[in-house]
Amino acid sequence: MLKFLKQVGDYIKETGQAAQFIGQGLSVTFDHMRRRPVTVQYPYEKLIPSERFRGRIHFEFDKCISCEVCVRVCPINLPVVDWTFNKESKKKELKHYSIDFGVCIFCGNCVEYCPTNCLSMTEEYELATYDRHELNYDNVALGRLPYKVTDDPMVTPLRQLAYLPKGITEPHDLPAGTQRAGQRPEEIAKKEEA
Amino acid sequence: MNSGIDLQGTFIESLTELGIPPGAAKALWMPLPMFLMIIVATLGLLVLVWLERKISAAAQQRIGPEYVGPMGVLQALADGLKLVFKEDITPAKADPLLFTLGPILVVIPVFLSYLIVPFGQHLAIANVGMGVFLWVALASITPIGLLMSGYSSNNKYSLLGGLRAAAQSISYEIPLALAVLAIAMMSNSLSTIDIVEQQSGYGILGWNIWRQPVGFLIFWIAALAECERLPFDLPEAEEEIVAGYQTEYSGMKFGLFYIGSYVNLLLSALLVAVLYLGGWEFPIPLDLVASWLGINEISPWWQIITASLGIIMTLLKAYFLVFIAILLRWTVPRVRIDQLLNLGWKFLLPVGLVNLLLTAGLKLAFPFAFGG
Repeated sequence: MLKFLKQVGDYIKETGQAAQFIGQGLSVTFDHMRRRPVTVQYPYEKLIPSERFRGRIHFEFDKCISCEVCVRVCPINLPVVDWTFNKESKKKELKHYSIDFGVCIFCGNCVEYCPTNCLSMTEEYELATYDRHELNYDNVALGRLPYKVTDDPMVTPLRQLAYLPKGITEPHDLPAGTQRAGQRPEEIAKKEEA
Repeated sequence: MNSGIDLQGTFIESLTELGIPPGAAKALWMPLPMFLMIIVATLGLLVLVWLERKISAAAQQRIGPEYVGPMGVLQALADGLKLVFKEDITPAKADPLLFTLGPILVVIPVFLSYLIVPFGQHLAIANVGMGVFLWVALASITPIGLLMSGYSSNNKYSLLGGLRAAAQSISYEIPLALAVLAIAMMSNSLSTIDIVEQQSGYGILGWNIWRQPVGFLIFWIAALAECERLPFDLPEAEEEIVAGYQTEYSGMKFGLFYIGSYVNLLLSALLVAVLYLGGWEFPIPLDLVASWLGINEISPWWQIITASLGIIMTLLKAYFLVFIAILLRWTVPRVRIDQLLNLGWKFLLPVGLVNLLLTAGLKLAFPFAFGG
């Protein structure tokens, strides 16, 4: 009899606990209702890409010496370097250069190893096309610079979390001139000089 | 208690004064409340879908629908319109008759159940003597429709969903009926209007929730299960069985399921408000307010105020419960099928029985407080 009563008591206790936990959960969800949405309303608002953002690759035709290092460091040998050897000047002459961004994984190895810095990463990430062959950029397309988010009058640029002042998680309606937490690179450089 | 506004009586009276025989006048009156109820249910559905999406968004720190109408209120309408224009596909190996009949059987009982929802003393379509029982009976038609659509779709997921829906509805109808029975015992009537009348007079203190707290919880849990709302949305658990019995449906047939589930949620919330939260009653008895302010209770403008307050109170209570249901949706994870049946048969049913017995005992012991 006592054992049965104990079982009943335990069962009631467990039921009470379950109700308590559901109540706790409800209070958490209720608390979330008063927080501001974290939504970035994409075509109208865009996050500013960070300075190390690995977007579409930019290529400067005149700097290239056709050494093909980019091809060798590429995980899939993606860049196509079309050159001929000019016997008179005894130099390689670059004719065409192209990267297929439908295949590129944006690892940045080519940018890292390019001896003349003719390759660089941009902030561009909106590469969608209706035909995958349009993603095969030739040296003209690779030489175009993307439009900056901060310059676009149609877009409200928003700062990412790491670029917000300390203790602030809300990128909307920041007062002008607010800086991110910590020192900026130029400040560190100035301190090093002094 | 005064009689309040009697729209039906006045309408028929004014028509007979114009020289129309009373029978014809009554026949003219009859479609009006039905039409009104369908409009109320549909409007309530639109508001409900909007609330669901907005509250869900807020609970997840999102924005939710924003561009269709102010604050996205017309989003549900746009979605509905889209569903109307979608191609209506019947799978090649499905049973076309049952496949079409399924969603119809799901929706019609739900809309019919609005017959018994009172918004005021005389603001109900029908003061059916067996009101709540009619609702329980109508609610048990729905699983037949679900099973029908699940079976006729010729799809394993649909069949599983249909079977789950039937099992769930049938097992949760019993605790639901037991909770209703305790209320009926206290108010000596099954009519929803009598049930609200029985709670009136003491304001918020007279509501059934204080006398039936356990019954309230059982009813609410069982109602959520009947509506297939999350924690109990196993029949359409998308991670397990795609969309359950809805898998093969598209266009307006799918829309009917969608409408049915939301209208059913609103109906359950309305019935909880009626059975446990005093229906159209204001938290402070309005007769008392009238006597404080020295207002004649029979004056027409006071009648209009009380009637509209009644409607507002009923809807407010219902939407508060809907809010809790939505919040629960984002709080509680889905139960497993065995947990669901355990909860229904091993917990709610015995607790409901004990609650019923306790109510009977209390009714004998304290007839003044428990409707002797």
